[in-house]
Amino acid sequence: MTGAQKRSIRQGLISGAIVIYLGLVGMLVAFDARAIVTGILNFATVLIAITYGGFAYLSGNRGKHGAPAQPALIAGTITGAVAGATVGVFTLVVNFLTETLGWNVRNMFTSINNALLEFFTFGQSPVVGALLMVMFGLVAGLVSGSLHLMSTTNRKVVVMGLTASVFGALGAPLFKVMLDGLNIPNRWLFERDGLTLIGAITLFVVFAAARMGSLRVGGPRQALLKVPGTTEKNLRWVITALALFGIAILPWIVNDFVSDVLGFVGLYILLGLGLNIVVGFAGLLDLGYVAFYAVGAYSVALLTARSSILVGGAVTSPAVAAYTNFWVAIPITIVIAVLIGVAIGAPVLRLRGDYLAIVTLGFGEIIRTLVLSDWLKSTFGGPQGLTEVTSAPFFGLNTRDPQILYYLIYAFAGFALFISYRLKTSRVGRAWAAMREDEDIAEGMGVSVIKYKLLAFATGAAVGSLGGAFFAAKLSVANPGSFTLLVSINVLAVVVLGGIGSIPGVVVGSLVLVGLPELLREFGEFRLHIYGAILIAIMILKPEGLIPDKRRALELHQSDHQPEKSVLSAAATEGVQ
Amino acid sequence: MSHLLEVHGLSIRFGGVQAVTKIDFHADPGEIVGVIGPNGAGKTTLFNIVTGFYSPDEGTMIFDGHNISGLKPNALTRLGMARTFQSVRLFNAMTVLENAMVGQHTRTKAGVWGALVRSKRTKAEEDHIRDRAREALAFFGDRLSGREDALASDLAYADRRRLEIARAMATDAKLLLLDEPAAGMNPAEKDGLINQIGRLRSELGYSIILIEHDMPVIKSVSDRVVALDHGEKITEGTYEEVSTNKQVIEAYLGKAAEESHL
Repeated sequence: MTGAQKRSIRQGLISGAIVIYLGLVGMLVAFDARAIVTGILNFATVLIAITYGGFAYLSGNRGKHGAPAQPALIAGTITGAVAGATVGVFTLVVNFLTETLGWNVRNMFTSINNALLEFFTFGQSPVVGALLMVMFGLVAGLVSGSLHLMSTTNRKVVVMGLTASVFGALGAPLFKVMLDGLNIPNRWLFERDGLTLIGAITLFVVFAAARMGSLRVGGPRQALLKVPGTTEKNLRWVITALALFGIAILPWIVNDFVSDVLGFVGLYILLGLGLNIVVGFAGLLDLGYVAFYAVGAYSVALLTARSSILVGGAVTSPAVAAYTNFWVAIPITIVIAVLIGVAIGAPVLRLRGDYLAIVTLGFGEIIRTLVLSDWLKSTFGGPQGLTEVTSAPFFGLNTRDPQILYYLIYAFAGFALFISYRLKTSRVGRAWAAMREDEDIAEGMGVSVIKYKLLAFATGAAVGSLGGAFFAAKLSVANPGSFTLLVSINVLAVVVLGGIGSIPGVVVGSLVLVGLPELLREFGEFRLHIYGAILIAIMILKPEGLIPDKRRALELHQSDHQPEKSVLSAAATEGVQ
Repeated sequence: MSHLLEVHGLSIRFGGVQAVTKIDFHADPGEIVGVIGPNGAGKTTLFNIVTGFYSPDEGTMIFDGHNISGLKPNALTRLGMARTFQSVRLFNAMTVLENAMVGQHTRTKAGVWGALVRSKRTKAEEDHIRDRAREALAFFGDRLSGREDALASDLAYADRRRLEIARAMATDAKLLLLDEPAAGMNPAEKDGLINQIGRLRSELGYSIILIEHDMPVIKSVSDRVVALDHGEKITEGTYEEVSTNKQVIEAYLGKAAEESHL
């Protein structure tokens, strides 16, 4: 057996194992109910086809030295068949254990139920089902192996069309609401929670054609520039105007729930932009960023909450200045956040990298523990927190309404974007970048490391506290349960996923990590599975993030032509340590 | 004429190792001082003390009329001292131009507020920073100027050394401390460097202290040479004086050097 064949078989075993795993966690049975093309194709089938096909495609890739290891069709077919066989063997084994030996495997694997077995055997007897599964894998592998035979352009076009159909179907409930909101007839496109056959074909054709067109002229941007009278500059204006218009009308074409989700995305954009200043610009790994989210929420709550707290039988009011207007509370909140940012930053000035991360992690927990404590219960309300935080008054509009609050949050997110851009391209941004690259040398070139570290913590804290302030105003409560370590990790994931230091990356990261899981509610209990899979995939495929910072992208992709990392510097005996 | 830099009785100890012992030395305005000594003689340690990276256990340091003992590196940069590093240390993920622009940091003011408002004054300052950085890059002809948007880490080795010097120049320093600027350069590049160091003084008025192992470079550029060994100053004087000093030959140059280098 050649190495290439071994590789194909290994890919098949892996994809088969993944499919079994998806079954064991219950994902396949759940997605069996989710249509892609209503009545014809469901998502679970598409998912295993994608899994088989994806690995089959990989096994058809050229070998390490660029020579075709074996015909792609054969490689794909082997992989697909092995994958199908793996799953087939699994069903046979399960059948043998349950039927012949009478074991109750559901004691351990709660998701191995009749629905799963029926799905794996296509409703046939175990043996016939296993054979069908091998055939299914074989065909999926053959089809995706044949993608190798296409020209690059055609392959991209086909993949684009298929992707559009699948995502169109997954987002069907959302898109349907939006189209209804715009009074666009869509009965021909969507049926229940999936696409109609005509809808699926239409999506495929439209997106494939669009991709084909844009590839012909070298990308969508070039395509638009071909339109007479279009220049780089006015194109940018048009795109900006369209984006703003889209953001403006969005709440009115979706329902309250989606507006609410978009509000959360906005909050995470605020938090992400704040953390991006600390981690991305200044290179200070802060794992306790949730502290500033909490500071923002509690500050606003303390200044505006009308709740009373029961302490030792006596009712006290926590609010320092109850009924203070939200807009008065905001600047005070920012000042408090800056002070706390500096207070947390000051003791960790000498720490770097991992050490800094651990200490900030501790600070984040300290803040949460303090607000949770009995000791400060008369101020922060302990576990129940502070309730009845006033909403943000805005020209007499009800800002509890997600559609109204949406605008406020996005206005502030826009402001934070502006701040980020301006800082990044300024003397301050350069000093931060220098410090991130090499703290000692930055100091040697005149950057006061102490000042700029504190500045980064303070700026990041101010932006993050805005997120907290709106969070409290949105939910009308501030309680310790909302400010756990997981928030810090999520915000960091948003920043890393988008691309560390990249400003548009934060926006995309928030949409993907905060928006998508909320909107694809069907994925409910599998959210963390999918979340993890996406994170791993992106970190393998695009380690620099979805929308990489230009500098960092160059940095990560230069390893191939790195100038000699001088023997001299490696062997340097003296030098600043 | 008062000295630009004057140090007296400088000592530092790392644990049990006496790295630098009671060194006196000075540099005058417009002078080029070479510092030589075998590996481990304490040359770079001396640089690190003078530029504020280490604080000495004993000794006084006066720079341009200021007592600089205990000052941090950034304060010294502000006073007019700038250095390069033996193992090239650039801001790798920043562009060539940005590296040089960082050099102007202490000469400019814009803070967060300036960055946000971007007033006329801030814009003018930013233009000035860019001009000054470009001017420093242009000192090395097209090698750096032609690649100002490349990442520092993408430059060839010799160009990275040049960029370090340009970055130091962009701080508007009076005194440049160059740590083995010729290391890793080929003969042609060394000749270029000798010429450039000369021009740094004659055309741009920098005073220079350089550490160098390459004797032809030291010979060509230095007005005065200071020789160190085991953390102590053995002797100082003109290149001819120092290179014929018996202690120096024993400690550093050795027999082979006696025959070939001198």
